[in-house]
Formats: sequence, structure tokens, C-alpha cells
Amino acid sequence: MRFFLELALSGLAVGAVYGLVAMGFAVIYKATGLVNFAQGELTMIIAYIAWTIQTNLTGNVAVVTVGALGAALLLGLAIERVVMRPMLGEPVFATVMVTIALAVILRSSINFIWDAYPHGLDLGVGRSVVRAGAVGIRTGQIAVVATLLAMLAGFTLFFRYSRFGIAMRAVAADDRTALLMGVSTGRVHAAAWAASAVISGIAGIFFAVSYDLSPTMFQLGLKSFPATILGGLDAVIGSGLGGVIIGVAENLAGGYLGSGTKEVAGFVLIIVILMVRPFGLFGQRDIERV
Amino acid sequence: MRNTLAAAALACAAGTMSFGALAAEQGVTDTEILLGSVIPLTGPPALLGVAHTTGVKVAIAEANNAGGVKGRKLRLVMDDDGYVSARTLQSTRKLIDVDKVFAIPGHSGSGQVVAAMPVLEKSGIPTIASVGPVKAIYDPPRPNVFAVGSSYEDGIRALVRYLGDRNPGKTWGIITQDDDYGVAVRDGFDTVQKEKKLNVVLSATYKRGQQDFSSEMARLKESGAEVFLAGGIISENIAMVKEMEKLSIKPVTGIFWPGRVEAILKLMGPASDGLYAVDYVEPFGSPAGQAFMEKAKPLVSEAEFKGINRYTMAGYAGARVLIEAIKRCGRELTWACTNAEMARTKDLETGVMAPIGFGPNSRFTDSRLQIMQADFATLSYKPVQ
Amino acid sequence: MRSGTFKETYPELIALTDSRLVWFWGAVLAIALAAAPYLVNAYLLSLLTAILITVTGVLGLNILTGYTGLISLGHVGFLVTGAYGYAVVSGRWGLPPLLGFAASGSVAALLSLVVGAPSLRLRGLYLAITTLAFAFIVSHLIIEAAPLTNGARGITVERPSFGGLSFASDQAFAHLCLAIAILTLFGTLNLRRSRIGRAFVAIRDNDIAARAMGVNLHAYKLLAFTTSAFVTGIAGALYGIYLSYVSVEGFPFLLSIEALAILIVGGLGSPLGAILGTIFVTLLPELTRSALAMFGSEAEALFSTGAQELKSILYGVVIILFLRFEPRGLVGIWHDIRRLWVHWPLRF
Repeated sequence: MRFFLELALSGLAVGAVYGLVAMGFAVIYKATGLVNFAQGELTMIIAYIAWTIQTNLTGNVAVVTVGALGAALLLGLAIERVVMRPMLGEPVFATVMVTIALAVILRSSINFIWDAYPHGLDLGVGRSVVRAGAVGIRTGQIAVVATLLAMLAGFTLFFRYSRFGIAMRAVAADDRTALLMGVSTGRVHAAAWAASAVISGIAGIFFAVSYDLSPTMFQLGLKSFPATILGGLDAVIGSGLGGVIIGVAENLAGGYLGSGTKEVAGFVLIIVILMVRPFGLFGQRDIERV
Repeated sequence: MRNTLAAAALACAAGTMSFGALAAEQGVTDTEILLGSVIPLTGPPALLGVAHTTGVKVAIAEANNAGGVKGRKLRLVMDDDGYVSARTLQSTRKLIDVDKVFAIPGHSGSGQVVAAMPVLEKSGIPTIASVGPVKAIYDPPRPNVFAVGSSYEDGIRALVRYLGDRNPGKTWGIITQDDDYGVAVRDGFDTVQKEKKLNVVLSATYKRGQQDFSSEMARLKESGAEVFLAGGIISENIAMVKEMEKLSIKPVTGIFWPGRVEAILKLMGPASDGLYAVDYVEPFGSPAGQAFMEKAKPLVSEAEFKGINRYTMAGYAGARVLIEAIKRCGRELTWACTNAEMARTKDLETGVMAPIGFGPNSRFTDSRLQIMQADFATLSYKPVQ
Repeated sequence: MRSGTFKETYPELIALTDSRLVWFWGAVLAIALAAAPYLVNAYLLSLLTAILITVTGVLGLNILTGYTGLISLGHVGFLVTGAYGYAVVSGRWGLPPLLGFAASGSVAALLSLVVGAPSLRLRGLYLAITTLAFAFIVSHLIIEAAPLTNGARGITVERPSFGGLSFASDQAFAHLCLAIAILTLFGTLNLRRSRIGRAFVAIRDNDIAARAMGVNLHAYKLLAFTTSAFVTGIAGALYGIYLSYVSVEGFPFLLSIEALAILIVGGLGSPLGAILGTIFVTLLPELTRSALAMFGSEAEALFSTGAQELKSILYGVVIILFLRFEPRGLVGIWHDIRRLWVHWPLRF
């Protein structure tokens, strides 16, 4: 029982990180209809920015978080404006390739700006271990699960009640009609990129606190990808939940079946889901009119 | 007419032959000897590649400050292969045919040298392989490829034997990576396991690049292993040790030299204290290690100095072997001479590892191994008796 | 002087080219390439061989992505299968190299049926995602199937010799790659001219309309998948021989992306584009290297501490710039130059 709990708990913690990154994927997909293959790299860059603030300025958790997320916001806006906006109206293939190229650039900039050594993001919090019975968990891991829940609730309310959330849904449903209705598609896209970068940034900071920074951190994007497929590419809330499911399932598989299968389990899941329910658990089936 | 042609051809051939004997080999001028390394300088493997290159630079700067080799200064060109075999192959050819370097004082990782071996062997260029010496590099011995270090299998055997002798009758756990490095670690472990009848309660592999080791470590805890061989490289070992701390288990843990860099101790935190490691180069916590740092400090840039790790020593030792051989060849510098002189290396003191020597049929130093232990207070490794 | 291009019959319309001059210069180029291995140094020869192998692989991907409009991020999976197909059959089992080549193509093609058949319901992004997942699963399976593939240890591959010819020397191997690249080039050009090729393009342009015109979507998509995988598998075998050592690590996921980048830079859907793109992308590191070398020794000091990454950054930037400013790729630029040449000083 303790073994199961340990697996499930740490699965929940890492799953929450996957969930946040997956939400980042979904926000962009929902607003712009494209998969951002640079999501993992974005996550990594924000974590490195947080680390830079921590080592050069202050280790105060509030300052680091606000600074890094502010940088994330600007980075998201800049990417949208400089790289993605000019690609509006181009085929999906072209825009997706742009995000892949962006991923290559961001990945290389880690060694260019920082170095190849792993680093610890020490914010003074989140590292101590809380024990309940025989089971231990780090406070940072509890916090990430709580953050995910808060984000899920926040986004649900946002999409349902806020004016801008409704505008985003309108653009996702039909951007031309939305445009005719007076919704500024460009502004929605910009907001989506900024929001996605911030969500990824949160995931990145939590991940760095619990697991350290390294130039291979971008693989978080690949690991979270199955989550957003499971939840549905256009389902922000679903993607967040998908992350938790993947995290727990993966850890249980690793614990009971052996770890070789753990890393590909997500990819097998992607294929299975896409065969059975291509629009994900919570996504919407899209119908094309000729 | 035909006779004239034949005579001309003969004269030409004789000319090139005598010319070949007089003129120096490629990459050698009256004032300079050009050396070139193929090494990963980008992406995560740059961690080892940059440090290794720093070691080569230390050796070169040392020789140049002493007036060069018989009046010739040494110069290094680097070619980045990103740890991708196809690029290693290209880079090796480029160094030999375009940059026309005289020798290769440092060649990329284990699989990469194996991939480039046909090119190296065919060209005959003096080459030092000091990043990842594996059997395929030195067995069968090639006239011009010299492996400096100890084999992965031997290293693991030494570590496991030591830990086994210190902890008789204890249960074991081992986790390795799913590539050729992991296979080498496992092979080494398996021989000792059979020999000493170790009781292995957990044996697992992980996929290269994995970051979350919670399920593996939960299994380790569940298995109750008392001695643990962490077969990760850098970030994997950090993740494993931190996870063990979280699960509040503290088996006797051993790590292997590819991951034995000082920087990880700080990241692992106090949990790293007492970690066992094995290596053939000196730990920086030893007097020899300190002496090397002192020597390197004025010779390299600040950024390079900060990036120094065990690969720097490996690179330095390898480059020293080459430079000493070049010295012995004197002004008449050829590949044949350098290769022959390198093979004649005996008891070369580099200060960073056991004396280096090759034999007529040995292209592998098979250096003496040392068991060492991490000391968290000073963030260094210290040799154990 | 030709005043324009007038096609009067269908055969004329689908002919490979209507100009003798093109044939002539094509032949000159082929002869030059055949002679090149004896004239250039070993490094250039190795670059040339790499370009020829990459051209073969990219032409394979072009069938799927360029002609049929199905995006695959998993072609490295077929490449590695092909390499292993060859390495296992002719390296480990010691069977004749020709069988090895046959195996490399057909194993990849078979595998493409496994991944292709269920993926046909998916289009665009979703297909890209399944193929991406597929690439990771394949490399995992290869490591797991150690009794067959030697697992993580990899397999050493010898240069082949068959039909009384030995391809052991670098020159001979380059010739083999050249022959296969030319064969593939003509194969894909001819495929494009046939009913099958036109069906592929119809699917790319609008699959629902194509279906209404009587194109069997499933059959043709699957055919595109299989042909593409077969060619890529052959390229994989060549790549394995070129490396002389086949292991999963030699085939990083980045190769898939590189292949797509080549198609984009060259010009999607055009075999000429695939060739131009390959040359450009393969030589890009060389170009940046020489550009950086001009800055001299100050730049050199920078190199040791991370500036090497500039090359990768530049690589990404070039892709973005092409997508943004010249979506038709190098082949588009080539067409513009040609037009300018004919019509100058008029603009059109």
C-alpha cells in the first residue's frame, strides 16, 4: 500500500507539471489552431531566466516568480508578434515548422547564454520534505498540484464568464466569423501566446525547484504532449487533467511493470487515443464542410 | 618517346619520395604544429567536450610557454560534432583533409571514435582517444589510435568489488541507461555479480534523457536494497539521489566516472555525502588535483576554468602523451615517428593519473583505478584507502 | 528563340522535360558527379556522399509530404528501420548485401503499413503527432529486441560488394550512392507523372474533392506511405553503411526535422527542390563556419564557451526566414532567376 501511495503521489506531482505544460499547448491550439512544438523549450527558457534572477539578484521567491513570469509574458508576446503573426494565413504545415525552428533556436540558446551544467533553482522554499506516515513528498510538489487545481478552476471561470474568454472561444470556433463580429483575432492570438508562456513558465519553475535545471529540460514538452492529446488538443481543462492521468499512469507503470516501458508509454497512449478518439477525451469533434 | 616518359615518371616518383622524406608531415611548418580535436561543443554533451578541450589547451599552453616543441609552437583547432556519429565522421575527415592537422589530441566519445575508426585507421594520423575508452577502440590495436584511461567494464568491476567487499552479504540494486554506456556498466557489474554471488534485488534500465526517477526509486525502496549502483550520468544521478532523500532511504551508493563531476555534489545536497565513485584520474580533493588546478588557472580563460571537471584531466593527460612523443621526434616530425614514439611511452608522469605507458601491441594505458568518496562539506571527492 | 511554352497533347504535358538542353546538361552533371570522387579530397567526397544519401531520403519523404501533403515527423523511424534491416540481414546474418538492401526497404515499408493503416483517419497535425510517437516507439523497440538487433550495442556494418563490384573504397561507395540517388530521382519524377502521382497531388490539394473524383483515399494514402517508407529505408541502409556502425543513437529525432527543413528550404513537392535544399542545408554549417572564421582568433576564444551554438541558432533562423519570405523555397528562387533570364529587361 505504501509503495502504491508513493508511486501515485509522486506521479501526481510530476503529472501536475505535465498538466501545466499541456495546458500551455492547449491554450495556443485553441486560439490559433496550431501545435506549438516549442512549448518544452519555452518552459526551459523561463526556468533558466528564473535561475538567473535567483543567482544574480535575489533568491526571494516572490521576486523570482514575478520576474520570471513577467519575462515569460514578454517572451510570449514577442514570439507571437515577431515570428507567428507574419505567418497568419499560411498553411498549418508552415506554421508548425516555424514553431519547430523556434524550438531549435531556443534549445541552442541555453548553451549560448548559460552552460551545459545542471543547476539547482534554490528559492528557499519547496525543497523540504513533508512526511505523512511512511510517505514523503516535497512541499514544492504539493504546491504544484495546488497550482494546477487553481489554474483549472481559473480557466474554467475565465472561458465561461469573462468577455475575453468568450472571445477566445469564438476565435477558436470560427476565426472569420469572430472577426466579423468584431473580435480582434490578432489580440486573441497575442493573449494566447502570452498566457501559454506564463503557464509553461510556472511549470518550468516548479519543475526546476523539484528536479533541477539542465539543458535536457525541453524534453518536458515531449513528455507533456501525450497529456494534451489525451485531454484533447483544444481542451485546456482536459489537457490539465490529462497531465495528471499520464503522470500517475506512467509512474504506476514504471513501478509495477519496469521502467523501460515508462518513457514510451505516453507515446503508445497517443497512438491508441488518436485511433479511438482522435479529438481526445474532452475535445470537440470537428466537422468539415466542403 | 615512351622511354622519355617512363624516365620522367621515374624521376617524378623519385622526386616525390625524396621530397616526402625531407619535407615535414602535414600541419607542420617551421614555426608551428597544428593539432585538431573533434569533440562535442554544443548541446548537453558540451559539458564534457568543453572541459576536455580545456585540458588539451592546458597541455598545449604549458608546452608553448616552455618555448614550444623544438622551436615550433602548438596550435589547436576544434571541430564540433555535437556527439552525433555522422558529424564525427565528417569532422574527422575535415580535420585530416581540409585543416590538414598533424595529430588529433582528443577525439569524441566512445561510439563516435568507433564510427570514425575506419577513417582514422586508413589515414594513419596520430590520435588520442581519451573521452570514453571502450574495447572496440583499442582491441585490436591500431598503429595510430591510442586510448588513454581505463575501460568502463574494469571501472565498474573495481567499484563493485570494493563495495561488495566492504558490504558482504548485503542486497544490491542497479539502474543503468539503455545505451552502449549502460550495457558496458551492466557487463562490468554482471561479471562481479557472478564472481561474488551478489544478491541483486532490483535491476532496472531507464531511457536516456529521463528526468523523473520517482518510480524507480520507489521500487528501490520497496526492494530493500542496501547497496545501490546509480548508473546515470549527470542529471540522472542527481535526480536519483534526491529522490532517495525524499523517500528517506540511504543505501550505500556508488556512481561511475562519467558522472563524477564536482558540480553535482552541490545539487544533490547533503545526501551526496559519502557517495562512492571510481575513476582513473585524480579527484580534485587530492593534492595532485589541487596542483592541477593551480597549474591550469593562469593558462585558460576564466569561463574555461569554471568549467573544469574530470574530463579536463583526461584531456590533459592524453594531450601530454602526444606532446611528449612529438618532442622526442624532434625537428624531423612525421606521423610514423610520432606513432612509434607514442607506442614507446613508458611511465609518463602527468600528475593527473597513474604513470602512462603503452606497449608494442598495446594501445591502451589501462590506467590504475582509484576508489573515492564524496565529501559534501568541501564539495569534492577524496581518495579512500 | 522560344516565345513561350505550348503544350498540345497530354504526353507533352506530362513529359519529364520538353527540352533537349535539359537532358544534355543533366547528363553533363551526372558525368561530372561520377568523375568527382576521383577529383576532390576525402572530406569533400564525404560531404558529397552525405548529400547523395540525404537526397535519397528526402526524396522519399517528398513523396509523402510533398506530393500527398501528409506531414510525417517520424521518418527517422523508417530511416533507422532501414539501417537495421540492412545491418541485421547482411551484417549479423551474413547474407548477400543485395538481400540486405531489399530487407531495408521492405521492412520499412511493412512498418509503414502498421503505422499508416490506423493513421489514415487522421490528417494534418494529428498525423504528424502519431508519426512522431511512432519514431520514439520504434527506437525503443529496437533496443528491446536485443536478440535480433544487438540492442544498445549497435551493429558494425561493412561496405558491401555485389554483382562482381566492390564498394569498399570511398569512391566506389560514392558511386553506389550516386546511382541510387539518380534512380530515386527518376523514380519519383516518373511517379509524379503517373496516375498515382496525380492522385497523390489531388489528395494534397483537397482530399474530399479527390474522393469525389474517384480517388480511393485509403489505398492511395497507404501507397504514398509505403513508397515513401521504402525509399527512406534504402536511404537508411546507405546511411548505416556510411557510418559503418548502426546504433539507435546515430539516428536522433532531429533527423526527421532536418528532412522537413530541407523540403521547406528547397521547395515542397519538387524533387529539384529536395536536391537544392539538401545541398543548402548540408553546406550551411560549412558556410557559417567560414563566416565565423573571418572574425579570427577573438571569435575562437568565444567558441570554447558556447558560441558554437550559434550554428544551430542560425539553422533555426534560416528555416523561419524561408517560411516567412520564400515559402516556395530555393526552387522558387530558381524559377524567378530563370524567368528573369528569359524575359529581361521585362519583368514578366
